[in-house]
Parts: sequence; structure tokens; C-alpha cells
Amino acid sequence: MEFLIGNFAELTITGLVLGSVYALVALGYTLVYGVLQLINFAHSEVFMWGTYAVVWVLTLLGASGTSSLAGAAGYLAIALVAAVLMSGGVALIVERFAYRRLVRQNAPKYIILISAIGASFVLSEIMGLRDKIAGFLGLQGVLGDYVNNPRNTSTLPVEIKPEPVLQIGNYMVRDTELLIIISALIMMFVLDQFIRRTSFGRQIRAVAQDPEAASLMGANSTNVVRLTFLIGGVMAGVAATLYMIKVGATGFNVGFVLGVKAFTAAVLGGIGNLRGALLGGLILGIAENYASGILGSEWRDVTAFVLLVLVLLVRPSGLLGESLGRARA
Amino acid sequence: MRAIKASQLLVVGVASALVLSACAAPADTTEGGSGSTESFSIAYQGPLTGADAKYGEYAKAGIEIALADYAAAYPDGPTVTAIYSDSQGDPAQAPALAADLINNADVLGVVGPAFSGETEATEPAYSEAGLVTVSPSATRVSLSEQGWSTFFRVVANDGAQAPAAAKLLTDVVGAKTVFVIDDASAYGVGLGDGIKDALGDKVIGSDSVEKGSTTDFSATVTKVTASGAEAVYYAGYATDAGLIQKQLTAAGFEGTYASGDGSLESTFIETAGEASEGAYLTAAAGAAGDDFVAKWDALTVSDKGSIGVYSTEAYDAAWVILSGIGEGNTTREDVLAWVAGYDAEGITKHIKFADNGEIDGAGGVYYYLVKDGDFEAPVAID
Amino acid sequence: MTLLEIRDLNVNYGHIEAIRGISFSVEEGTITTLIGANGAGKTTTLKTISGLRKVHSGSVFFDGKDITNAKPYERVKMGLTQSPEGRRCFPGMTVMENLEMGALLRKDRRSAAYREDLERVFGLFPRLQERVKQAAGTMSGGEQQMLAMGRALMARPRLVLLDEPSMGLAPKLIRQIFSIVDEIKAQGTTVLLVEQNANQALKRSDVAHVLETGKIVRSGPGEKLAADPAVKAAYLGGDV
Ligand SMILES: Nc1ncnc2c1ncn2[C@@H]1O[C@H](COP(=O)(O)OP(=O)(O)OP(=O)(O)O)[C@@H](O)[C@H]1O
Ligand SMILES: [Mg+2]
Repeated sequence: MEFLIGNFAELTITGLVLGSVYALVALGYTLVYGVLQLINFAHSEVFMWGTYAVVWVLTLLGASGTSSLAGAAGYLAIALVAAVLMSGGVALIVERFAYRRLVRQNAPKYIILISAIGASFVLSEIMGLRDKIAGFLGLQGVLGDYVNNPRNTSTLPVEIKPEPVLQIGNYMVRDTELLIIISALIMMFVLDQFIRRTSFGRQIRAVAQDPEAASLMGANSTNVVRLTFLIGGVMAGVAATLYMIKVGATGFNVGFVLGVKAFTAAVLGGIGNLRGALLGGLILGIAENYASGILGSEWRDVTAFVLLVLVLLVRPSGLLGESLGRARA
Repeated sequence: MRAIKASQLLVVGVASALVLSACAAPADTTEGGSGSTESFSIAYQGPLTGADAKYGEYAKAGIEIALADYAAAYPDGPTVTAIYSDSQGDPAQAPALAADLINNADVLGVVGPAFSGETEATEPAYSEAGLVTVSPSATRVSLSEQGWSTFFRVVANDGAQAPAAAKLLTDVVGAKTVFVIDDASAYGVGLGDGIKDALGDKVIGSDSVEKGSTTDFSATVTKVTASGAEAVYYAGYATDAGLIQKQLTAAGFEGTYASGDGSLESTFIETAGEASEGAYLTAAAGAAGDDFVAKWDALTVSDKGSIGVYSTEAYDAAWVILSGIGEGNTTREDVLAWVAGYDAEGITKHIKFADNGEIDGAGGVYYYLVKDGDFEAPVAID
Repeated sequence: MTLLEIRDLNVNYGHIEAIRGISFSVEEGTITTLIGANGAGKTTTLKTISGLRKVHSGSVFFDGKDITNAKPYERVKMGLTQSPEGRRCFPGMTVMENLEMGALLRKDRRSAAYREDLERVFGLFPRLQERVKQAAGTMSGGEQQMLAMGRALMARPRLVLLDEPSMGLAPKLIRQIFSIVDEIKAQGTTVLLVEQNANQALKRSDVAHVLETGKIVRSGPGEKLAADPAVKAAYLGGDV
């Protein structure tokens, strides 16, 4: 307790940093749930593929050594584009192959759920077996380092050195931390405005609230569903870039734990609710840090789920309720 | 520590280490044996993929060299091949693999299991089946206290590593306060507790992280920096060790970072990046000699692993078993008896086992300093 | 001119044959009404015309084109919209957003024509103008009915399908809704109306059809059907 109070600023800020990544990934879960009332279990792998896009594109560009955040800005901007394209693309593939036919044929939800879980394994193992897959395709020679040792940790080729920039309480916030929190907030704001103010956004909300009535207005539900996956993928791509700036390493199995946390964040905030995803992500990041501080780091996962259960006992639809659907978005 | 891979069989002989030239081509090393009476297998159980895959690669180098030496030393002996069984170092995956090895009648001995956790998970089955295991790298103290008749290791346990690591921190590094972190694995908890005992009141704080459950260690980092510790010891594996050090450095920690044999592989340096400069890694394992490296260079098999921590221990473990086969022990019972009674010079130390499977008379414990992005030659801690 | 033509339509829900071989057409500039008991198949007919249900057999022509297999949005684009049974306003959206959803496929949302249409809807339903910022989910049933009809008109349709616009409303409001239906026709939009309020509906229908368990059992000018003793007995009992 004393520790928590003494280090409140630091635990809060570093918690917000991780929470920002949770929140951005949580958006993908919440958007798809809002529109289809289905949980996209493959979304964790959409994120994971984004982290690899960051590694690969920087390797391709020959980035190396260490750099300040500002010094690597050019690289990171390109990496961001690559990650967004990769995650967006993978999300569209998931929609096309794991969802579209089943949704169109009105398959029972549990069948679609299993399909998504299957897609998740497939995406993760494709990454984890990419040397063998490249071998089958006769590309191993060409792809070399991009596919070798696929089950080992892959690190960002350029190492980013955080620098302290801002004193908050007794903590010097690092530039990378500031970047991550601010980027996540900006993305959330942009998305929120997109969903509220644009015609595309209105269509997404209409399909979420009443798909049949939306069809009567002329909404093309296939396009809306595709767009929803794409937006979730784009957000996961941003999350992947920020994650790589912070952590600097990834693996074919990093999606699972992060995905479970992000999904928890989405449920905590009220699944289907965009602002809930943000709130849930940030609260979860902070709560894990506080609990790790007070009880020990081995308690962090327990904390996440105890918190979830407590919140759902009091507010069964999450902190902000289900909102892309019934209430105001 | 953990165990690395597997075992092989080896020759018995005295002369083993010295014998032979490096050249004979080893038997086909990929898949297990034929049914003929003149063909047997040794198996390796450990991580060949996953975050800890480097340990498997290192062990493979030792095993392949031992196979080559065996073929040269016993040209008329049975053909022996190695089966590499990939547990990913995971106690949950290992039992099914162990069952396969036990059911394969050609397998006369196992080099491994590589890690302590998987040893706890599989040794009861090996013991019941009477299939001998010689671990090059499973170092949790309690492994030898379970009464498993088939458990042997050619490496000193963490009971030796822990006090030596503590000594490194106090005497070599000169730290007056140390923060100890473990990864809640069988290995990490054992080693971490041992170090805390040895350091006594120099331990200024401790934390436990869950292996593989997060890549963000902010709370732990905050605890370390808030404690003002001069040094940190992490008892766990390489990827997490690298991430923690990187995040500590980013948060302004300027003290000394040390970890154990679980992190003594290149993944640690790759993951931590520049932050790994000046880190200390401890292990009850020394460096491979020039001979060993020359033999490895001469190997012609396509996948011969690479030399790293516990490569030489894997060689010794393999040789203990291979020499038994070469000397005519071709049943599991005989090989087990052979290993239990083994008494000869190995390349890392004199190999002779106590009744509980521990190596008699531990070899030294060493530290490896990270400099210019690589591990420097080991220095004995005494 | 015939705007909509239904030929020998059959629609099933699994094994239930909801529509069994109906044919009728809607002339441009008219009000055509379908009446019938609960479960007769009126809503199913409208859903099929809008493309929400697949036909089992038969065909649907709109403006001379076969739209039997067209997607719902293609039909909206051609000028065929619907105010569905139960209103189905988007509850989380404001009145204005609901109206904008009605104009989803219009490319001219900044034009004078669009503003004119909005004014026209507000002219028909002044209530909506007072409440443009209110969430549809918090409005009364009558207000939501107005919104659903206004929304269907925002696409500037040639044919609007109205499924029981008077359902659940107070008598005064029902009269108001019906006079708005007249107004819609007067402004040049063709109406296909489904009603339980047979008296009110038949009075203003150019043509009406009586549906019974998926079949058309009687057809004729509205006034004439209203005078038909059989129809009277079956459908005009407690009407307002
Ligand atoms: N989704 C459905 N699944 C199965 N049967 C259905 C479905 N929708 C309607 N039906 C059946 O089809 C028949 C026609 O229903 P429909 O809704 O078209 O009637 P309606 O004339 O609009 O009735 P109401 O006046 O009560 O609105 C009914 O027997 C109904 O039970
Ligand atoms: Mg109906």
C-alpha cells in the first residue's frame, strides 16, 4: 500500500501505457460484436501479424542500431503504415473466410465462434511455421531471415531509447510512453467521430442497432461488416506499432494473452461500446499495475479477472453498457 | 537450471573424451531406430522450438558430436541414432512426448529433460518405465529428492549456483542491496529462493512474474527503481530476462543486472538490445574447449545445432549413455545400471553419480559478462 | 402505368407456406391496400417486395424490371422504400440521424432538392422538426411511427410500402396518420399500404386486396370492398 502511494504516478502512467494498447485492440472486439453480436476470437492474431509487419518492414529498410524516438520517427511512420495494412488485410481475410458465408447463411453463433477460434489457431501457426510454409512454396531462400526460426522471439531491428520528457508527480514520463498514450487517445477520438459523424459510421451503427431496418434504408450489410473488420484491423495495426515501440519484441504467440486482456477490457467497458473499450482498457492496465505493486506481479492476471467479475456483478452489461447497439453510440 | 537435451549414449570408457578424432560421420540423426538388434536410439527431450529453442540447439551440438565420437570409438557397436523430441520446455506438453519415447523400444536412454519443470512432469513415467535420463541442464535442487531411480544429471544443481550467484553480486559486483525476481517456474522459484537465502538481508525486495503471461513488466520495474537496489537478479528464462532488463534500463535503472543459466543464450541479448551490456549471467557450466569446437566444425550432418551453454554437458550426458551401448549394454535395464555405476572423466568434469542421481563433486559455477553484444568467456566464481 | 407487379408469388418459412401464389399490381400514383387477419401474410409480402425474404417461386417487377433477386439496397436505389411493421427506428440515433439514414443512398445530400425533401417531411410531421436532436428510442410510439414514415420518404421513393402505420396509436393520431397517407399520394408518391384498420384504409384506396392465409381472396376498388358484406363481417367490425 505504501508502495502504491509512493509510486502512484509511475504505476498509473505505465498502466495507462499498456492500457492504451489493450484499448486499441479491444476496439476490434467491440466493433465486430456490436455489428454481428459475435466475438472475433481471431482478432488477437490480427494484432500479432501487425507486430511482425513492423519488424519486417524495418528489417527490409535496413534499420539497425539504437535511436531516440524522434530519430526513428521516419522508420516508425513507415512501420505504422505497414502494420495498418497488414492488420487491416488480415482482418479482411478473417471476415472473408471465417465469417462471411456462415453469417450469410445464418449459421448458429457457436458455429461461427468455432470458426473464429480455428482462424485464430491457423493465423498463429502460419506465423509459427512460416519457414516450412516458405519451404513448400520454394521461397525459403528468398525470404531467409524473415522466415527463419519462426518460433523464436523476433526483435525490432532498431532499438528505441526512451527519453524522459515530462515530470508528473515524482515520475519522469518517457517520450515513448507519452507517444503511446496520446496516439491511442487520438485514434479513439478519430474513430469515435468517424462512427458518430460520417455516413459510413452511421451505417455501422444502423446495422448494429437493427440490421433489417438498415437493409431497408439501403445499407449493404456485407460492406458494413467488411468495413467493421477493417477498422478493427487498422486499430490493431496502430496498437501493434505502439506495442513494438514499447516492448520491442514479438513472437507468433504474443496475440493470445494480449487478446484475452483486450477482450476482457472490452467486456469490462461494455462490449459493443467504443468508449467502453477505451475506459475498460485503461482501467485494466492501471488495475493490473496497482495489484502487481501491492500483491506481487504474479497476481496481475488474477486481478484482471477478479475485477471483471466484480464489475459484471454490479453492472452486468459492463461499465458503459452495450452501446453501438441499443443506447447512444 | 533447466535441462537441456537429451542424452546419448556413450562410451564408457575412460578415454572417452580424448578418444577419437572428430571425423567419423555420425549416424543418421533424425529419426529413431530400426527394429534390428544392432540399431538403437537415444532421445533428447527439451525445447527445439518456442521462446527457449536455443537450449535445444545448443544441446543438439553436444549430442551430434557425441554420436560422431561414438561411431568412431565403437565401429563394430550397434548403430545409434538420436531422436529429438520437442517439448518446448513446457511441462504441459512433455508427458505425451515422454510416453512416445517410453513406448519406442529402440530408445535406451534420454538426454534430458532439459528444464526442471518438464523433468518434474515426466520423470515419474521414466522412472516407472526404467528408462534412464541424464539431464545436462535441469538444475532445480529438489529434482534429486524425489526417489526417481532413473534421474541423473551431469550439472551441479541450483544449490551450487545460488550461493555462487549471490557471491558474484556481493563480491564481484559489490552490490550492497539486491532485488530478486523469479518467474514462478519450477526453476525460477528454486533458484530465486536459493539466492535470497544466500544473500540474507542484502535482499531489498523481490517480485514474481508469470512466465509468458505478459511482456509488460512496469510494476516490477517500478518496484526495483523504488527500492533503490544496486543490483537485480532475475531467475527465469531468456526472453523475459531480456524484456525486463530493457524495461528497467528504459526506466532509468543504472544498477547491475544479473540472471542465471536460464537466460544464458543469445535471445537474451537480442531482446534486451543495448541494455544487456554489462549484464552478468551465471551457470554451473564452463565454456566449450577448442577441441570441442573443432569437432563441431568438422561435423557433416546438416542440422548440427550450435554451441552454447550446456552443449558440453549435453555431450557428457550423451556420452555416458552411448558408451554403455558401445560396451554391450543393449537393454534399458543394463543401460540404467551402466549409468548408475559410471565413473570416468567427462569433458566438463569427472562423471560419477551419487545414489540420488546428482553428480558427485560439483564442477565450478561461472559467470558470463555481456560485452559488445556477446557473452565473454566464462570466469569461475570462487 | 404499372409500377409494381407481383406474379404468382410463393414465399416459405421453412415448411410453412406463408404466401401461396399471389399476383397483383400497383399502378403509379395510387394507394393500393392489403388487408387481412393476423398471420395472413401481409408483412411477408412487403418484406419480399423489399428483398428481405427470398421468393420460393414467382417474380417481382418494379418499373418494368425483374427485381426478384435484387439486393435490398438495389431496390432502394430504384426508388422502393418501406416503413416496416413495428416502426424499427434506430433507437440509438437522433431523429435527424434516422432521417439521414433514410437518405443513405442519395448522393445529393448537400443539394437544395435534399433540403426540400427534408422540409417536406417536416411539413408532414412537424413533431419531428421539434425533436431533431432527440434519440429515437426515447420517443413515443406515435412519434416513432412518424419518424419511420418520414425516414422512408427521405429517399425520395417512387413507391413507399407502409406496414400497419396505425398500429397501436390513439384514434386521433390514427386519423392524422391516414390523412398524411393521402398527402403522400397527393405529393406524387405511390403507396402500398398494409392495414388492420380496414375501414380507414379501404376508404382511400384506389385498389385493395384481401389476403387470407397466403392467398388473395378478394380484390377491387377500396370503396367497393368496404361495402362488401363478407368483408364487412370479417374485417370491419370494431373499426374506428
Ligand atoms: N420468421 C418467421 N418464421 C416462421 N414463420 C413466420 C415468420 N414470419 C412470419 N411467419 C409466419 O408466416 C405467416 C405470415 O406472417 P406475416 O407476418 O406475413 O403476417 P401478417 O399478415 O403480417 O400478420 P399481422 O397482421 O399479425 O402482422 C404467419 O403464419 C407467421 O406465423
Ligand atoms: Mg404484419
